[in-house]
Amino acid sequence: MNLKSVSECEDRRIQKIINYKLPNHYKKIGWIGFTLSFVILISAKFFDDDFSILIETIKRLLLVFLLIVVMSKEKVEDEMIKSIRSQAFSFAFIGAVAYTLLQPLVNLIVASIVKPEKAIFEDLGDFQVLWFMMIVYLVVFMKLKKRA
Amino acid sequence: MKNTLKVERAINNFTQEELAKRIGVSRQTINSIETNRYVPSTLLALKLSKLFNKPVNDFFSLEEGE
Repeated sequence: MNLKSVSECEDRRIQKIINYKLPNHYKKIGWIGFTLSFVILISAKFFDDDFSILIETIKRLLLVFLLIVVMSKEKVEDEMIKSIRSQAFSFAFIGAVAYTLLQPLVNLIVASIVKPEKAIFEDLGDFQVLWFMMIVYLVVFMKLKKRA
Repeated sequence: MKNTLKVERAINNFTQEELAKRIGVSRQTINSIETNRYVPSTLLALKLSKLFNKPVNDFFSLEEGE
């Protein structure tokens, strides 16, 4: 095998990984799992018991189900859907970076006005950033798809 | 870029759904191309050209200033 065919083979493998999508029926599984996790997460807030480990686990599960929805193919995954998908991904990525940089500042400013004694600069957690990014992706993707 | 895909489709007596199936895209994609909301790739343009048995330039053309 010469150097050119090795490089082509490597390119094909990378493309296969980049373009990998789950089959369409996973979307339904993802939404059901997401809804269930969301309901459990909200319900746990109404109890006085300490559910911190359960809540953290459910939060992770919620992100996994959202990722399944994001990674699932549409019924017809054609070139227009791919183009919409890449637009939504880039918007969500830029949005998440801006949100991660600006939100702690906004929180600090608001806290220093409302409760100046408790105003501290605090970074966002991984859950908040990932949740924001995937929700923005899904909203933009659905909006662009509907408009197309 | 403007196109006369709707006219070609009418000449060949295809519905949007039929045309979409023949070239392997969704009906929504055909509708978006016809209404100039989506510019198809070269691959899709060539598929349409093969199906209509006409050069791509016959139904896709550049607008002034492009």
